[in-house]
Amino acid sequence: MTDTSSDGSPTEASSDAPSTEASSDGPPTERTHRRRAETERWRGVAGVALALVGAGVVTRQPALVVVGAVGVGYAVYARIGSAPAATLDLERRVSDDDPEPGDEVVVTVRARNVGDAAIPDLRLVDGVPPGLAVVDGPARIATALRPGATAAFDYTVRASRGAHEWESALAVTRDAAGTEERTTALATPTRIVCTPTLSAGGDLPLRGLTTVSHGRVPTDIGGSGVEFHATREYRRGDPVKRIDWNRWARTGDLATLELREERAATVVLLIDARESAYAATDPDADTAVEASVEAAGQAFSALVDAGDRVGIAALGPRDCWLSPGSGRAHAARARDTLATDPALAPTPGDGSFYRSLWLRRFRRRLPGDAQVLFFTPLVDDVAASLARRIDAHGHLVTVLSPDVTTGGTLGRRLAAFERRERLRDLRGSGLRAIEWGDRSFPVAVARATGRWSR
Amino acid sequence: MSRPERDDRPPTAAVLGGLVAGSVASLAAALADPLGGAVVGLAAAAVLAGSLRRAHRLLSWGVGVGVVGLAVAGYRGGAVEPLLAAGVALALAWDLADHGITLGRQVGRGARTRRNVAVHAGTNLLAGGLSVAVVYGTYLAAAGNQPIAALALLLFGAVALASALR
Repeated sequence: MTDTSSDGSPTEASSDAPSTEASSDGPPTERTHRRRAETERWRGVAGVALALVGAGVVTRQPALVVVGAVGVGYAVYARIGSAPAATLDLERRVSDDDPEPGDEVVVTVRARNVGDAAIPDLRLVDGVPPGLAVVDGPARIATALRPGATAAFDYTVRASRGAHEWESALAVTRDAAGTEERTTALATPTRIVCTPTLSAGGDLPLRGLTTVSHGRVPTDIGGSGVEFHATREYRRGDPVKRIDWNRWARTGDLATLELREERAATVVLLIDARESAYAATDPDADTAVEASVEAAGQAFSALVDAGDRVGIAALGPRDCWLSPGSGRAHAARARDTLATDPALAPTPGDGSFYRSLWLRRFRRRLPGDAQVLFFTPLVDDVAASLARRIDAHGHLVTVLSPDVTTGGTLGRRLAAFERRERLRDLRGSGLRAIEWGDRSFPVAVARATGRWSR
Repeated sequence: MSRPERDDRPPTAAVLGGLVAGSVASLAAALADPLGGAVVGLAAAAVLAGSLRRAHRLLSWGVGVGVVGLAVAGYRGGAVEPLLAAGVALALAWDLADHGITLGRQVGRGARTRRNVAVHAGTNLLAGGLSVAVVYGTYLAAAGNQPIAALALLLFGAVALASALR
């Protein structure tokens, strides 16, 4: 909330002088004619009027004739004039074009009539991006504009993760009597980008598929490390520090301690962003995609901090792939991808999803030694079967599932039951699975870690 | 992400304006003729109900009943002046109610609409006023000795002119 002028009662300026320089610095408004239609709201008025006149003539009552004649006047009123063109210059200002998630952004819209004709009846509906919720005041106004006059209104949206582009505003104009209606789309580019910072998550346990580089995932390979693994016969050249002196004292044989080698892993965070994954516990709540992206951000920073190579992919109609990497620049790229990649947009995109095509492309890109952290709400069987198939190809899969099936209705209970079954099947086939609902992702991970053996 | 439900009732100004205009119409019609006034009052109530229930059909029925009320008042020998006022007020009441419904549907009650409603009511009154001025002036000039049929013929001339304008 940085804008102090959002008192909810903006003035309707009708002077043309002060707004000229304001609208000239912005990009020009692109006007597209959409529709023109008769409203037919005055239909029948002439007939009624003439009927009254006729009745007056027959009954010899001058009052009826006079009233009917006035009705004819309305018929004429309805017929003159046509809906004016929406000759508007639209200017949209946001109080903050780089907000944090949850910030309230005040949007001020000024529409100036740059035409020569007055617009007696104008209804303006702003094209708020689908991913943003209007929290204060409708993004709409109805007014009348003289040539050169400006109408201004503002509303507040709550920022959510992603790059949000405003759609065309719709202007509906009518003539004074409202006989004809004309719809015009007014496009003026406005964009806000909301990039959440990657919050550090807890320690994320990985499965035993690793690269040759040193890291922190304990392996079954003996070597240097901190945890005891085995002992073996001494060979020349073994470091003196690792000689098992206790045994030498006991038996006189030289033996060398093998410690568990800790290596780095390559991890790909796979986020389910198919249309079915945009499920939420209630219409106003965050979707499962939102929860997945947030958790993936936490997992990313935890893994990168631990020295693993981490990449990002989306399971959905749009392509999204960030190759595994490490380092500060890579973290910045990942933050951008998680925040603004269209494949992970806060609302589902268009296009259809082809499972086998997607899997083929994903496997081609996936490094051979990569394991997959699969974030999915598991609301359908496709996600579960994909997890099993990726796992079967040798990429160890851990399923991390935000629970969006809480709630009391029968349908929700059925969905929750089916989801539990899927989770059980996955665990039965040897995949690891974490689910989290109300409690936070790190807490769920910490609980699960205690349960898992390596 | 979903949006909170928008209030798509007609703007308060349009509903109130329609109510006031409807009351004026029934009062004026009652001055001309009590029975006609009662019928017009019924019409005003129907228009108000249509406005509140967002039903264009109810509005049409309301204004139809109102015209019948005017006809009854005229038939029973009501005076010209209050009947004219009732007609103009009835037209305004219907127009505001109907306009309010579309406004509610397109921008909702929460948006700023007062200027739009005021301009719409103003142009409607202007059109009604002009129409009354012309017709009543003609009536004053022609009434007394001219037969009603001549007035009606004059009117058909006006209708033909209006159609030609189109």
